Amino acid sequence: MRNIATLACAMLVLGSAVERLHADEMPNLKDPKMISAGHDVFLEKQCAHCHGEDGKGGVNLARRALDAKGVFVSIADGRERNGIRMPAWREVMSDQEIWEATAYVLSICQTNR
Amino acid sequence: MRKALTIGFAVGCLLSTVSIALAAEPGSEDPNNWPQYNRTTNAWRYSPLDQINKDNVGKLSVAWIAHGGDITMGLQETPIVIDGVIYSISSGDKVAALDGKTGQTLWSYEPKLDPINKKVLFSPYSRGVAVGHGMIFIGTVDGRGIALDQKTGQEKWQVQLTDFANCHGCNFTSPPVVAGDMLTFGSTAGELAAQGKIFGVEAATGKKVWEFNTIKQDPASWPGESGKYGGGGAWMPGTYDAETDTVFYGTGNPGKDFVNSEREGDNLYTDSVIALDPKTGKLKWYRQEIAQDVWDYDAPYEVMLFKKNGKDLIVHMNKSGFVFVLDKSNGNIENIWPISDLKNFVKDIDRETGQLVGRVELPMNKETLICPSTFGARSWNSGAYNPKTGLWYNDVLDFCGYLKPVDQKVDPKDYGTGHTGSNDFGRLVMAPDGRKPGRLSANDPFTGERKWSYEMDVPGFACVLTTAGGLVFNGDPMGKLQAFDADTGKVLWNFNTGSGMRGGIVSYAVDGEQYILVPSGWGSYAALLMPALLPQLEKVPAASTLIAFKVSK
Repeated sequence: MRNIATLACAMLVLGSAVERLHADEMPNLKDPKMISAGHDVFLEKQCAHCHGEDGKGGVNLARRALDAKGVFVSIADGRERNGIRMPAWREVMSDQEIWEATAYVLSICQTNR
Repeated sequence: MRKALTIGFAVGCLLSTVSIALAAEPGSEDPNNWPQYNRTTNAWRYSPLDQINKDNVGKLSVAWIAHGGDITMGLQETPIVIDGVIYSISSGDKVAALDGKTGQTLWSYEPKLDPINKKVLFSPYSRGVAVGHGMIFIGTVDGRGIALDQKTGQEKWQVQLTDFANCHGCNFTSPPVVAGDMLTFGSTAGELAAQGKIFGVEAATGKKVWEFNTIKQDPASWPGESGKYGGGGAWMPGTYDAETDTVFYGTGNPGKDFVNSEREGDNLYTDSVIALDPKTGKLKWYRQEIAQDVWDYDAPYEVMLFKKNGKDLIVHMNKSGFVFVLDKSNGNIENIWPISDLKNFVKDIDRETGQLVGRVELPMNKETLICPSTFGARSWNSGAYNPKTGLWYNDVLDFCGYLKPVDQKVDPKDYGTGHTGSNDFGRLVMAPDGRKPGRLSANDPFTGERKWSYEMDVPGFACVLTTAGGLVFNGDPMGKLQAFDADTGKVLWNFNTGSGMRGGIVSYAVDGEQYILVPSGWGSYAALLMPALLPQLEKVPAASTLIAFKVSK
């Protein structure tokens, strides 16, 4: 019983951020203020370390077709692909900051061109 | 009959070549094994085996291949080989013992890592294990020391050495050093909001005996609060010198990397070679190579030991590419020479005093072109010294970077953000004179005189191996493994390993046969950052593979 309750709580926590991606209160990711704030977060948290100040660095985001859900989850939970790893930022960055960073990334990736 | 005699003679030569112990010659002890990170206590990365040599290296072929499991951040280890058994560590601190003749797994061990390691900048890789006292020792990416039974892989002890949860990613990415009955563990720091430390631990029990703070508690060296997150650390293995019972370490850079306005002292003991008593952690001497560094020129690279003309010497490369030749007993300077002429961060370093001459400071919020780049004139992958040629072989990096210091908040729990005072880690660019970005360079280790150099379109990032067979083995990020004539630099053999190389190429012998063992698995921060300079690296497949070669019979 305790395990089921724990599992349910875990699913709620895990699901909350992703669910909000589809909720009405989802921020407007095309809002220029959101994108600008996202670029600030992008620099402050040194996303630019691997992605470059303009997103065209070692791990080039500008050449990729990305979606909001994928970007949010990648920032929040980290990402491991083709042997390279991006740290997880949940609890270091707020959901708002992750949304802002997501807005900036979407503004420079292939999807937006 | 004649054929049988010939075969018998050939086998006899084979066995004698492989098993003769040239104990009197430095670097030649324990010839069939690779018992520690840089093989011998002088850290030469020289194998005295000569069964594989200039005449037959063209017949080198694959003996076996083993996969290490998780490929995250590649395979960065230098495998240890003792009495025909390979001790290997791959991503996530997964340890395995393998049969040196077949590559088959004898046992494996995987620690349960603190989930915080997913948030940490320097994780989840390791550069090797250490072996001694019948145990395998590892430093983990969540700040623990762990000992395993050498025969079974069963855990013997473990100890939490860093306050991992509260200290900005204080972890271990390199093996400890076996220093007699003690182990010494050097922590990461440098780019982290932390004070990097070296820990002394009893090998038999795991009991922590001492810790040495690489950030000196001295307001003249670290004004105000500047040392609180001063960085430093010792993130590569040190060298244990049993002759003087000393463990030598090179230390990491000060933080914030590119901003020195708040740390106007010399920032000891960052960017230094330090000599410690392994029993007590007491500092015997230090030699700082870069005072008040703003270019990220750490000093954690291998500390090599030599005896020359009656003197005991250290040869040590700083990331800047300046090589320091020091008196082993006190750190006094014997010589300083640069591995590359591509350098503009200073005009020079004074050969007498070690003072930086004409240093280039970095204005805030503006880009400044600095050579070499933050990868250095060589990365952490060790060079190799061959006593037969008298040459030291290194993968030189000949490219630059634009550095732009900016204001940065400090959050010790922000494990993922580097404490660098920058948005990025330097915008990499080719050298202004258009030269190729890297080369394998053969130099006299004391004077720097260059004997030969082999230019590369993609620079090498693997630890070099040199052997008594007159060979140098080197691997590149594209997967090209090459054997060179150690005297001339002529390419004698090459092989595509399928993924880039970042670990250490080693050699060993078992049952009369010499092997070349190559870790293949492109990863590390080079894999993240280098595609900005060399786009072809973006497509290199990841792997975690050990490939053993021998000469076909």
